[in-house]
Amino acid sequence: MWTFGRKIAAGFTLAFLLLLGIGGVSYRSISALTSTSQLVTHTHQVLEHIADVLSVLKDAETGQRGYVITGDEAFLEPYQTAIGTVHNVVKDLRQLTADNPNQQSRIDKMEPLVAAKLAELKQTIDLRRKGNIEETTKLVRSGEGKKFMDDLRLLLTQMEREERDLLKQRADEVATASSGAKSAIIYGTAFCLVFVMAAGFFITRSLTGQIGAAIRHVQSSSAELQSAANQQASGAKESSTAMNEITTTISELLATSRQIAESAQRVAHVAEETSSAARSGDTTVQKSHESVNSIKRQVDLIVTHMLDLGKKSQQIGGILEIINELAEQTNILAINATIEASGAGDAGKRFAVVADEIRKLADRVGGSTKEIRVLIEEIRAAVNTTVMATEGGSKAVDLGARQFMEVASALKQITELLGTTTAAAREIELSTKQQATAVEQVNVAVSNVAKAAKETEVSSGQTLQTAGQLAGLSRDLIRLIQANASA
Amino acid sequence: MTLLSPITAKAAELRSVFDQARAAPFFSGKEEQTEDLLAIRVSRDAYAIRVSEISGLTTDRKIVAFPSPIPELLGVAGVRGALVPVYSLAMLLGYNAETERTRWFALCGAEDPVALVFSDFEGYVRVPLTELYATEQKDVSRTHVEHVVRATDMVRAVVSISLIRKTIQRRCGNDGVSKER
Repeated sequence: MWTFGRKIAAGFTLAFLLLLGIGGVSYRSISALTSTSQLVTHTHQVLEHIADVLSVLKDAETGQRGYVITGDEAFLEPYQTAIGTVHNVVKDLRQLTADNPNQQSRIDKMEPLVAAKLAELKQTIDLRRKGNIEETTKLVRSGEGKKFMDDLRLLLTQMEREERDLLKQRADEVATASSGAKSAIIYGTAFCLVFVMAAGFFITRSLTGQIGAAIRHVQSSSAELQSAANQQASGAKESSTAMNEITTTISELLATSRQIAESAQRVAHVAEETSSAARSGDTTVQKSHESVNSIKRQVDLIVTHMLDLGKKSQQIGGILEIINELAEQTNILAINATIEASGAGDAGKRFAVVADEIRKLADRVGGSTKEIRVLIEEIRAAVNTTVMATEGGSKAVDLGARQFMEVASALKQITELLGTTTAAAREIELSTKQQATAVEQVNVAVSNVAKAAKETEVSSGQTLQTAGQLAGLSRDLIRLIQANASA
Repeated sequence: MTLLSPITAKAAELRSVFDQARAAPFFSGKEEQTEDLLAIRVSRDAYAIRVSEISGLTTDRKIVAFPSPIPELLGVAGVRGALVPVYSLAMLLGYNAETERTRWFALCGAEDPVALVFSDFEGYVRVPLTELYATEQKDVSRTHVEHVVRATDMVRAVVSISLIRKTIQRRCGNDGVSKER
């Protein structure tokens, strides 16, 4: 595909070549015309000199005749002037027709005639000066002078005719050259105009199409660029904000890393102390395990005794029921005795007193058995509670013993793990310090990135502005190539 | 040991009371007019009956029921070698006492004894006569109560056994129960 410059250069080159051709043709035609014009001028000069030869001879003859007639020397002036110029005129004529052998031949014939005429005139004048008018008239009447003049006129007419023929021929050549030059100029100019217009039209159309497409592409691209710049500006703003937040977060992270390093150091220290404590705790747990086993045996013994106590209290409850029953029966007997005694009159009074005492005693025994039943129930409840609590305690002791074993095992494991923990804590401390250093570097890098994001935000704004200007420029270009375009 | 110490103390108290009773004279010469009462519960209400109006007290006797137009008559029971009719004291006092326990039997009368049953016996109390207060018998349900007494820290209605017996006799006479006997 041809570039714009190549198309324009090709158009101008063709136009230049056409103009050059037209100029060349025109120059050649004008040169020919000029040359022909010079030849015409030369022919006119020749014709003038031919006429001058005749005119000078006529002047000389005129002077000769005036003198001959008047004898006045004043009439000889044209004769004298003619004598002085006739040879020069003939000489010039010879030079002017040097390239024409016919005319040279005629000049060769003309020069003796001129000399003879001049001699005849001189003879006449001399005779008149001498006062020999007869002789002078005779000589004039002899017609010798006229004959010379007639011959000269004939020669000069021939020369003039030839020159007139040449003049006609050169006029034709001038007309031909002029017509060729006109045709070359008119047709060449017309062709050149047509060509230039066609080239201009095609180049303009081609350029308009291509430039228009390119401008529309640029316009579309500038719109996309504007949109992208908008997004980029928005993204850059968000990035800037995010970077600020990240910077803050990293600062906090840095502080946290330092705290973690310090904590890890403390953890390592505490882990060492805990390891020592765990080792001593292991010994203590072993001793406690033995004590717990002893407690378990004691608790089992207590449970046995308490179960016996529960059985005994049940037996006491049964006996107490019997006592209560006896007391109630005694009370009823005493009441009946009292009733019977009251029916026996005075004799029964003493018996009534005894019966009353028995009834009171039975009442008190009944009340006491109730209290004792309550106490026995409390004892049984307490025994049951104690048994249950003791059994629970026994189970708890069992569980405790197992847990002590687990604790001992766990303590051993803790001791081992604490060694690992100490090493890990030291590694964490070291790693955290390295991490803190890395975070510092990251902080610096993020600060730089934040700065770059800020600059990107500014650059995005400038890009947006440039994209806007580019879009405006595209619209202006579209208006330039499409006058009716409104985009 | 602390749990058993109250029992020991109670035994010592009983022993002391018994000894004092044996050591004191039967009559001091200054006898106060008193009334012996049995504190009972009828349908959970507190009542009292005079010991002087009953001829005996017993418990847990088997009652043999028989058809009777008198709903208060629960049946007969063997007491002291004889068959006595057994009446529900609760029903005689106007309670709807079909579910009332019949543990305690109070024998009334020597010639034609009847037994009045009630659920709970709370004790034997002796009160001065001045503690007995007559009541106005305006309430129909209280027709067998002539006195009230303050005993065992509460006020109890004193059931008049003689009025109860009259009621029984009136019912039996009207319904011809005594003729069958």
